[in-house]
Amino acid sequence: MKLKSFLTVFFLMVVVVFALSACNSEKTDTDETENETEASDVNKTGMPIVEDSLDLNFFAYKPAQNEDNDWNDILVWNHYRDMTNINVNWDLVSLDALEEKRNLALGGGQLPDAFYLSQVPNSDLLRYGQQGVFIPLNDLIAEYAPNLTKLMEENPTIKEALTFPDGNIYSMPSLIEEDFLSLRLSARPWVNEAWLKELNMDIPETTGEYYEYLKAVKELDPVGGGKTIPYGGTDIQELVQWLSGSYGVMNRGPSNGANIDVDPSDESKVRFYATSDEYKKLLQYINKLYEEQLIDQSIFSIEWGQFLANASNNLYGSMIFYDPIELFGEEIGSQYNSLAALEGEDGHQQYNKISSPVWATSNLVITEENPSPEATVRWMDHFYSDEGAELYYMGVEGETFENVDGEKQYMDHILNPEGDMTFEQALAKQLTWLGSINGIIKADYFQGGESAPQSMAAAEKIEPFAADEIWPRFTFTEEENKVLQSAGQDISKYTEEMRDKFITGKADFSEWDQYVETIESMNFDEFLNVYQQAYDRYQEN
Amino acid sequence: MAVVKSVKRKGNSKIAKSFKQNWQLYIFLLPAITYFFVFHYIPMYGIQIAFKDYYANLGMFGSPLVGFEHFERFFDSYYFWRLLKNTLILNAYNLLLFPLPIIFALSLNELRNGAFKKWSQTLTYAPHFISVVVVVGMLVAFLDPNTGLINHVVRLFGMEPIHFLTSPEWFRHIFVWSGQWQSLGWGTIIYLAALAGVNPELHEAAKVDGATRFQRIIHINIPTILPTIIILFILNIGNFMQIGFEKVLLMQNNLNSETSDIIQTFVYETGLLEGQYSFAAAIGLFESLINIVLLVTVNQIARKVSNNSLW
Repeated sequence: MKLKSFLTVFFLMVVVVFALSACNSEKTDTDETENETEASDVNKTGMPIVEDSLDLNFFAYKPAQNEDNDWNDILVWNHYRDMTNINVNWDLVSLDALEEKRNLALGGGQLPDAFYLSQVPNSDLLRYGQQGVFIPLNDLIAEYAPNLTKLMEENPTIKEALTFPDGNIYSMPSLIEEDFLSLRLSARPWVNEAWLKELNMDIPETTGEYYEYLKAVKELDPVGGGKTIPYGGTDIQELVQWLSGSYGVMNRGPSNGANIDVDPSDESKVRFYATSDEYKKLLQYINKLYEEQLIDQSIFSIEWGQFLANASNNLYGSMIFYDPIELFGEEIGSQYNSLAALEGEDGHQQYNKISSPVWATSNLVITEENPSPEATVRWMDHFYSDEGAELYYMGVEGETFENVDGEKQYMDHILNPEGDMTFEQALAKQLTWLGSINGIIKADYFQGGESAPQSMAAAEKIEPFAADEIWPRFTFTEEENKVLQSAGQDISKYTEEMRDKFITGKADFSEWDQYVETIESMNFDEFLNVYQQAYDRYQEN
Repeated sequence: MAVVKSVKRKGNSKIAKSFKQNWQLYIFLLPAITYFFVFHYIPMYGIQIAFKDYYANLGMFGSPLVGFEHFERFFDSYYFWRLLKNTLILNAYNLLLFPLPIIFALSLNELRNGAFKKWSQTLTYAPHFISVVVVVGMLVAFLDPNTGLINHVVRLFGMEPIHFLTSPEWFRHIFVWSGQWQSLGWGTIIYLAALAGVNPELHEAAKVDGATRFQRIIHINIPTILPTIIILFILNIGNFMQIGFEKVLLMQNNLNSETSDIIQTFVYETGLLEGQYSFAAAIGLFESLINIVLLVTVNQIARKVSNNSLW
């Protein structure tokens, strides 16, 4: 008797658990049909976008700098809501939970109307696009996004970066104005001019001079006690990418990150440059710097904080980083002057470490749940215009910025906030752009570290050497993605590991042939073919 | 344990009778069973994504079946053997230090000075409460080739500074010994409790017979805590392969990955960061299989040799 009732209870429990989980999955398709807006209600031009107010649910990544603000009630979004008549309900997610929450949203059926700045990778755009979860935007963009269309006509790269091999566009991009080079450079090379003067040297222009300078700094030891670090950075990759232009590799920029560039002898072919002789020479040069202790010996394990501390103690003779005055203050920061591209042994002198104007493909992704994709596309499109860029990055005139001598400047309560507040904290009270690129970012409507005088001067110096063509991230088919995820990943991992070993001398250059052979044994032809196909498509478009 | 075994051998009616007699005890068991069922058995249906091409919107059941594709991809990967080797060596090394807390507990047990004993216990427990991120931060700071404390000492002896964190040959030692520093004191707690149960009469009798302190430890203390040791050892084996992967990930860089690249960090990098859930699940399943095989084997051996076992 007792046994029976025990088992009954047990099974009841099981049933309840399953019933509960079933309930959960059924709940989703009830509220689908309400709130449908006819496309005719959407104004094709002018504001507001819709006559009757429209509610949209956005899933959005909220960068850490915005920790203390609420996008559901903040100047920039309130202003835009009043303008457009579209009320966005923000579901905000921090970076560490982004990936997981995004996939839960996709998997649980609780789809938002759109994913905003959610870093949906290209492979997922395609996967869920083909499933119909993300809707194709080609026609909608042509009809409802005049600003983006115009940008795409001016710069065909944008369209190429967005179009998948199946011909569809599933997202609207985050863009950087092509001429706003300073922002596209990210971290850039600096040299300590005070020490240069002490050494009676000019700003290095060739790899040879750079080596001489670093060596002289080491001998001079201005900090004392052997503590001077001729070159330091947060990561060796920055140095490799900067010097790539002096050795003629990575000639189409770093966006694809797979050691692929264009074959200099045949521009219709891609080249895997990590096995080329030029790349070998590049590594040999960096190896020489490292062996002579001209590069920070702890660069492979250094933490960001340690680097900042060292820089604030003025230990570095040269570095690749962001605006020194903004970060280390006037006294130390102003000692630095910028470097452009160095001329290498074989005469190459180009600056390749530049990101594509297409910063990210998935600024906005619209899902099948969206009641009015037309209105949503228009909502996003405004940010590709000058007015939109002004609104997002500068805010509202008289509230956050004012015109000073024809230049837009943040108002005093942001630039010099009261009490302990920093500039960023004051900014985040009214605007949300910190840590993100939304729509297009333009030099005229931006005030931040990258537009500080020192950084702008650096960009100007670099400009003549900037690579003519910078590739965006390519798009691939599902089959191709499979190759990239297996062979592609092994190859990337191996080349990166070996790069660091060659640089530190843990692997001798006599092992180079073996290194090349190993890569070629990793399903290499298939991998290269995938990039060749992607490049062919890129050129066709 | 013995009770459970004897119940098993009696027939169905006996079980029913035992239920009837002890139903209160079974009620006490119920929450635990429910917990395991809901949180450990039901989620197992997720294992199926290891054999599927997982699409979040199609769900676990709706995603297309691909069989062993993900397993094949892992076994064919260039890094498979290195990952397996590193994982096994790192865990075996860690397991090798299993006797340390026992020795430490035995020594603590011999201390007669109460204050000193308490003091050293507290001192060795303390590191247990430091979070992994902080420990790795400390390692980076102490072992830095330019500014690290250890390398200052190395330089004092006129040697070249050692690149601890970027040398594959140092990684395992640093990882395992820093882990030991953190967990040594904490690990002694159970043994000290077991040692408290040693019958003092045995010690008195041994003293009368003229046994030295060392002999008494070997012949009285160790045999008494032996069952505890064996059970803890088997439990440790159960966690084999599941070494604290956060710490490995934090200590890893391109230069030491020859020894620091383990299956779990690989799963994290390819599975979670790249969103390849099915692939990650397949590798995780493979890892669990190794674990089960090890656990069952060790348990069998322990049962044969010492009559102590988990089941």
